[in-house]
Amino acid sequence: MRSTLAAAVLAAFALVPTALAPTAASAAVNVVTTTEGLASLVREVGGDRVKVQPLARGVADPHFVDANPMLAVKLRSADLLVDVGLDLEVGWLPPLVTQSRNAEIQPGGRRRLTAAGAVALLDAPTGPVDRSRGDVHPGGNPHFLTDPGRAVQVAAAIAERLAALDPAGKATYEARLADFRSRALAAVAGWRARLAPLKGRKILTHHRTLSYFLEWTGLASAGELEPKPGIPPPPAHLAELVEVARREGVKAIVVENYYDRRSATAVAQGAGATVVQIPGDVGGEAGAKDYLAYLGLVVDRIEGALR
Amino acid sequence: MRRFAAAATAAALCFLPAGSGAQQDPSAPPAAPTGASPTARLLLLPDLAAVGSFALAWNDWDVEALSPRAGPYAPTPEEPAFLFEEVELAIQAVVDPYARADVFVALTPEGAEVEEAFLTTLGLPAGLQVKAGKIRSPFGRQNPLHPHSWDFVDAPLAVGRLLAPDALSGTGLSVGWLAPLPWYAEVVVAGQSAAVEEDGEDALLGVARLVQYFSLGDATTLGVGFSGGLRDEGTGLHRDLFGADVYLRIRPPAGRAYLALTGEAIGRRFRGTGSGDAEWGGYAQAFWRARPRWGLGARWDTAPTSDEGSAQPGRENRWAALAGWFPSEYQRLRLQISYDRLPGGEEGVSALLGLEFSIGAHGAHPF
Repeated sequence: MRSTLAAAVLAAFALVPTALAPTAASAAVNVVTTTEGLASLVREVGGDRVKVQPLARGVADPHFVDANPMLAVKLRSADLLVDVGLDLEVGWLPPLVTQSRNAEIQPGGRRRLTAAGAVALLDAPTGPVDRSRGDVHPGGNPHFLTDPGRAVQVAAAIAERLAALDPAGKATYEARLADFRSRALAAVAGWRARLAPLKGRKILTHHRTLSYFLEWTGLASAGELEPKPGIPPPPAHLAELVEVARREGVKAIVVENYYDRRSATAVAQGAGATVVQIPGDVGGEAGAKDYLAYLGLVVDRIEGALR
Repeated sequence: MRRFAAAATAAALCFLPAGSGAQQDPSAPPAAPTGASPTARLLLLPDLAAVGSFALAWNDWDVEALSPRAGPYAPTPEEPAFLFEEVELAIQAVVDPYARADVFVALTPEGAEVEEAFLTTLGLPAGLQVKAGKIRSPFGRQNPLHPHSWDFVDAPLAVGRLLAPDALSGTGLSVGWLAPLPWYAEVVVAGQSAAVEEDGEDALLGVARLVQYFSLGDATTLGVGFSGGLRDEGTGLHRDLFGADVYLRIRPPAGRAYLALTGEAIGRRFRGTGSGDAEWGGYAQAFWRARPRWGLGARWDTAPTSDEGSAQPGRENRWAALAGWFPSEYQRLRLQISYDRLPGGEEGVSALLGLEFSIGAHGAHPF
């Protein structure tokens, strides 16, 4: 027994030098983000001064990521962890952070930035919160990156934190933030002009993922396919939504591509609407290669269906 | 820093909403200024949760006499029985900037038992992490898992027969070292005072485990573990434990469906007695979470028959099939049908319908 254990420990030690070599070579700030959307904002602000690794893929539903120990390996050497917050990642991030042994990326740590702290939030439930209301986020709706204004605020918070951790890069981060802001502004002006004639038009979504999007575009929600957050749509609810959609003139049922689209199709057929599949985040489909491209795709698809 | 704040404010002003707010739910509160924490955390309360497990059991054979086990079964053959298994209370919080604590109390028909209560360090240097308190021994894959993390309604027989009736656990210390490698490689060494029999005496137990995880492409993760244990039984007698386990999880990132394959072998040997023969047991199982609300599983497990039962000494084999329905993330209803074969041609069929609910803070989903 003793000799087996000794052999196992020795084998593990023997492998250490080969693993240390690649990390020692790069001096960039090693940033880990929970989502690809946050990773894109870090890339916008950090450029070559940062190395960014998202934990969850853009094609994945960020509520349901596996707490895969391989992700703890990424967190172990993170100089900064950027998460969304508001319990979006509660099902998988906390054990990974503990497993990582990285003290400074714990909640409230110097190397932890929770993006929700940088923005004003919508949909915070009032009154007693319990799960009879579904899988609610008691702190507010975590899908705030569908609003480019809030994305710029998050980017500003990232720039500030990067400058604190890497003071030599402060000017770079400021300049890149200003550049991102002006590109975002220009894009938003274009999107607003295109969406202006559609103001007040109603859409249905699968989950309440687009509250922030509706706020800045002037579009409106006629409801969600889920009767309550995280609860799969029962047929009776879908039948009700067909009536709602007809009454409210809903032409688009918007579904992130990580959701099953069968419920949306059923309502769309009943109500004469179109199912609009959108990427759930940056990286959610091939064209959504960065934040502005992702949001541009969302605007294009929804605008296309409403025209 | 002030420049960033100014930039953020300017950005916010430029992005004032186009709509007058008419599209918002009028009952919604005004937007909070920052990402506020849920109230419980503002009050510095720990996360509290309770998991209740109940079962309806039926078996056509005398499980208690032939195959004593901790898992649920009907006490009388061919007579269905409703069973209260346990309510597990979980109390979890960060202690201070250096450590967190997790307390799990199991309330069972026998009374209350502290299942685990330990401190975990958060930022020791050199990839080290210490757990101190009452812990489940870091031996193998199944042993450290609490019942509500099991895919099946009961545990494989080998854990109860070869390690300890419920689980190998005790009060002590474990030190885990996460090796600085591009994959996950952790060595855990634990020293505990542990009892291995019902109402048995504590004795010193040493456990070591090497567990590694590898990414095999986008969708597949492979976990491989080796465990060893040594317990001083007094009067020159030693109990040796060995274990090897493998775990393969296939989950394409775009979906929630996954397939988890697990295999584990556990061996035990006594040194210092006449017979130094090793006994072994193990299991192989597959669990397929086909859809967010449905899952199917199959398991084969094998273990030596129990000394406490009336079965002939030899090997017990069991095959089980499982269908699970998950109305939400907080409820599970599972039907497990199993077929046991014991030495001497004894055999039996068991059915278990397990209900489990969870209230309180949302814990992480086990990997």
